[in-house]
Amino acid sequence: MTRLQPSASANGLLRRLPPEDFDRLAPDLRRVEVELLQVLIAPGETVETLYFPESGYGSVVANGGEGGTGGVEIGLIGREGLIGAAPVLLDADRTPHQTLVQQAGTMLSLPASALTEAVGRSETLRRFLLRYVHVHGLQVASTAYSNATYTIDVRLARWLLMCHDRAEGDEIRLTHDFVALMLGVQRASATIAVQTLEGNGLIRAQRGRVTIRDRTRLREMANGSYGSAEAEYARLIGPS
Amino acid sequence: MPRYFFSIRCDTGPLDLAVDEEGDELPDVAAARRHARTLAQDLIARHRMSLIRDWFACTVEVTDEAGERVFTLPFADTVPDSF
Repeated sequence: MTRLQPSASANGLLRRLPPEDFDRLAPDLRRVEVELLQVLIAPGETVETLYFPESGYGSVVANGGEGGTGGVEIGLIGREGLIGAAPVLLDADRTPHQTLVQQAGTMLSLPASALTEAVGRSETLRRFLLRYVHVHGLQVASTAYSNATYTIDVRLARWLLMCHDRAEGDEIRLTHDFVALMLGVQRASATIAVQTLEGNGLIRAQRGRVTIRDRTRLREMANGSYGSAEAEYARLIGPS
Repeated sequence: MPRYFFSIRCDTGPLDLAVDEEGDELPDVAAARRHARTLAQDLIARHRMSLIRDWFACTVEVTDEAGERVFTLPFADTVPDSF
């Protein structure tokens, strides 16, 4: 097996680790392929495995608990982050939220026990990853703010920017049904919102996929709903 | 089960027709009518869109898998006059 090198990692957290901290994790990292809609973190179950995405990304979904229907995406974790970080690092064991794969790709899995041991031995590693947990919390807060404040087309612009940050190129694979689920709206609303952005030349929509055409104007459309959590990531974790 | 497609047409504003390419499987036309009604009511009540200035100027256009129109339902017909 080829030895993983921190500087070569596609994951933004692993890449920024000092070599001695990276070496604490490296022996336990396993590269895995993840498939669309695969459940990475099951609600209410002890988190035994975490994932550092290299490509592809996961959606953190809240579903209202017992008797809740459907679900609404509250967070997005891709190559900038670590899936499962909050429950493990905050000593919570499990979470009521589900994380499932929204875009298939490659991730590095890590047993929770290995992470717990590594952060127990390294204060720098623990503090670095806790800063990431904080930034992810800011992203979730930003989702709450957007959902309460902005119309659906603006929320779609924010969500597409976040997907684009984590995608390989300019194309994002999605159905309107999926957009509707993620934004917690009717599919008809998702269709109208997609059409709004397309009509303004910000995206190109084809069946099952969206291509980002004008990221600058998409940011203008997002109107402040996007960017604050990303700026805190740059401040606390590192510039992109 | 047949699949019905629920597109939205608006007479005012920049949106002409939002075509539903995905559709929903429903047992029959009566179920499609109930679905269209619920859809319109939910859009009116919950879905603020910067592009749609007036939901009451919109209509649900329902087509089948052959692309044939099954029925249309004006949003205004889905709520009581006193709404």
